[in-house]
Amino acid sequence: MEHVAEERFSIEAKGLQLTYPDGTTAVDGVDLAIPRGEFFGFLGPNGAGKTTTIKMLATLLNPTDGRARIDGRDVTDDRRAVRASIGYMAQEVSVDEELTARENLEFACEAYGLSWRDRDDRIEDLLDLVDLAAVSDAPAASFSGGMKKRLDAATALVHDPALVFLDEPTTGLDPKARNRLWEYFRRINDQGTTIFLTTQYLEEADQLCDRLAVIRDGRIVADGSPGALKRHVGGEILEIQVAGNAAVPGRAIKAVRGMDRFDGSASITTEDGTIRITAPDASEAGTAVVLALHNAGIEVAGFDVEEPTLDEVFLAIADDDVPDLVGSTEPGEVVVP
Amino acid sequence: MNRETTGDTVGHAAASGPVDTGNSLVGDVWVNLKRWNRKAIRNPTPVILEVLTATFSLLLFTAVFGEVGAFALEAGGYGGTDYVTFLLPAVFMQATMGSAFRSGIGLVRDLETGMFEKVVVTPMSWTAVFAGKAAADLLRILVPLFVLFGLSIVLGTAIQTGFAGAIAILLISLLVGLLFMAISNVIGLLTRDDEAVNAATMLFMFPLIFLSPAFLPLAALSDEVELLATFNPVTYGVDAIRALLLDRDVMTVIEVSRFGGVLDTLVPAVGVLLVLNLLFGSLSVLALYRASRSTVA
Repeated sequence: MEHVAEERFSIEAKGLQLTYPDGTTAVDGVDLAIPRGEFFGFLGPNGAGKTTTIKMLATLLNPTDGRARIDGRDVTDDRRAVRASIGYMAQEVSVDEELTARENLEFACEAYGLSWRDRDDRIEDLLDLVDLAAVSDAPAASFSGGMKKRLDAATALVHDPALVFLDEPTTGLDPKARNRLWEYFRRINDQGTTIFLTTQYLEEADQLCDRLAVIRDGRIVADGSPGALKRHVGGEILEIQVAGNAAVPGRAIKAVRGMDRFDGSASITTEDGTIRITAPDASEAGTAVVLALHNAGIEVAGFDVEEPTLDEVFLAIADDDVPDLVGSTEPGEVVVP
Repeated sequence: MNRETTGDTVGHAAASGPVDTGNSLVGDVWVNLKRWNRKAIRNPTPVILEVLTATFSLLLFTAVFGEVGAFALEAGGYGGTDYVTFLLPAVFMQATMGSAFRSGIGLVRDLETGMFEKVVVTPMSWTAVFAGKAAADLLRILVPLFVLFGLSIVLGTAIQTGFAGAIAILLISLLVGLLFMAISNVIGLLTRDDEAVNAATMLFMFPLIFLSPAFLPLAALSDEVELLATFNPVTYGVDAIRALLLDRDVMTVIEVSRFGGVLDTLVPAVGVLLVLNLLFGSLSVLALYRASRSTVA
């Protein structure tokens, strides 16, 4: 890059808040500082405020409080300049189904003011990139869900935006289509584009993102690299398979709780005859747990110790009973200084 | 090669200086006009149906009401005018309203498919987005009107005010069209339901056409209908077009005599239509502006 950016951050938000006229606060004081070139993941359960946050950052909703800047430009005061510099892919696929893939891209090129000299090349490049060159002159109505998503993604990128918002870009796609989009997102991120991604697929966040923040009830409750979040939450998972009828797992949970070995932050759940204990020292407690189950007359069919997956992190964080984790991740990986 | 092209341009938006969006107002209008025209051409069924409806209306109403109409025309001061010529403004208004109401349906579809939001998030100016779509909608209205002109010539109608009159008739129709486009957009934004807009078309079209001098001279109708016709925008469209067809003052709801001849109808009619356009146009722009500011459904 010839000119060094003056702004270090692609996205900066301070106290971002959105309260709807009916009084519900969808986003409640979100702070963000996302450096250029980062692949940032925004996770959270349905209704946590992910889309509302993205819409405020993308100038589609005015924050009721707080402010946000994109490349140093205010999202409410400098709306048009912000719009010219970002790409936005909405959660619902949005393509004009009456137009062909090429016409959709042409409209996007023109809407973003690309000079007509660059248009044709750009359209061909993008059609290749999202593998739609062969069907470029077919109306989008004839496309599969995956093809529409890819076309949608391409139209959000016609102007080579420095920052791209992707709101659950792979929801509803089959694994093959999803992989293809991932590859594509990685590629544009490698080329220097900052990416702000929301997703419900933890695997997606794990695979793609440099850094994650988890939002719950409109507030960021955890942030850090996927690795840091995994290490932080629960540490280890102890899985114990119990034999017997459907009542056994319930009794087993009772027996484990009865041990008074785990504090309130540990999660003890059951699924298909497996007791799952998530706690920082779950593996050390293994022998004691097996013994306690034995004493309760429960037959242990097998057991296993695992590292948590991001799913577990997510489930733990999305659970209202677990306290916020902000500020407790590793230094340098915390969103809010 | 693809990658190089893409790679070269990625870092470009890094500086915080003013952003040249590369957009111009006229250019943006054109972009939107082109999109909506393409959509209309890709999906020509509605326009074809509008043309057929207009054709059948003119032929059917003439056949059904022709005989009765002749008496009413005689009694209402239109002796010597054939019913086809008298009826033509009614069918013009019907075709205009039917076509104009589709404007709201296009908007609702855009809201549903997310294209509305996609357009909002671009750096295009809103004025251009409105204007482009409105221009495309107006162009679409012209299609059935041209067919009606052709048909009326075949049926023996002459436009007494000549070519300039024909142009004026189209402009009046577009003015009425613009008004009903605004109304259908407001309904579309309030209901966000294309079936509701469709239903509203019928709700507006039939009472408004029947409560106007469209099919029969007001003199031949009851006083109540005449009163209601005064507050009906279609009355002004019908009277203006009829005045241009016959080259004389035909307006009875507002008596103006200071301009003489056709102008005694045209001036008040255009005035009323302009005021209504301003009113409902502002309403629809306001509703669109609000919708563009909060795109969360």
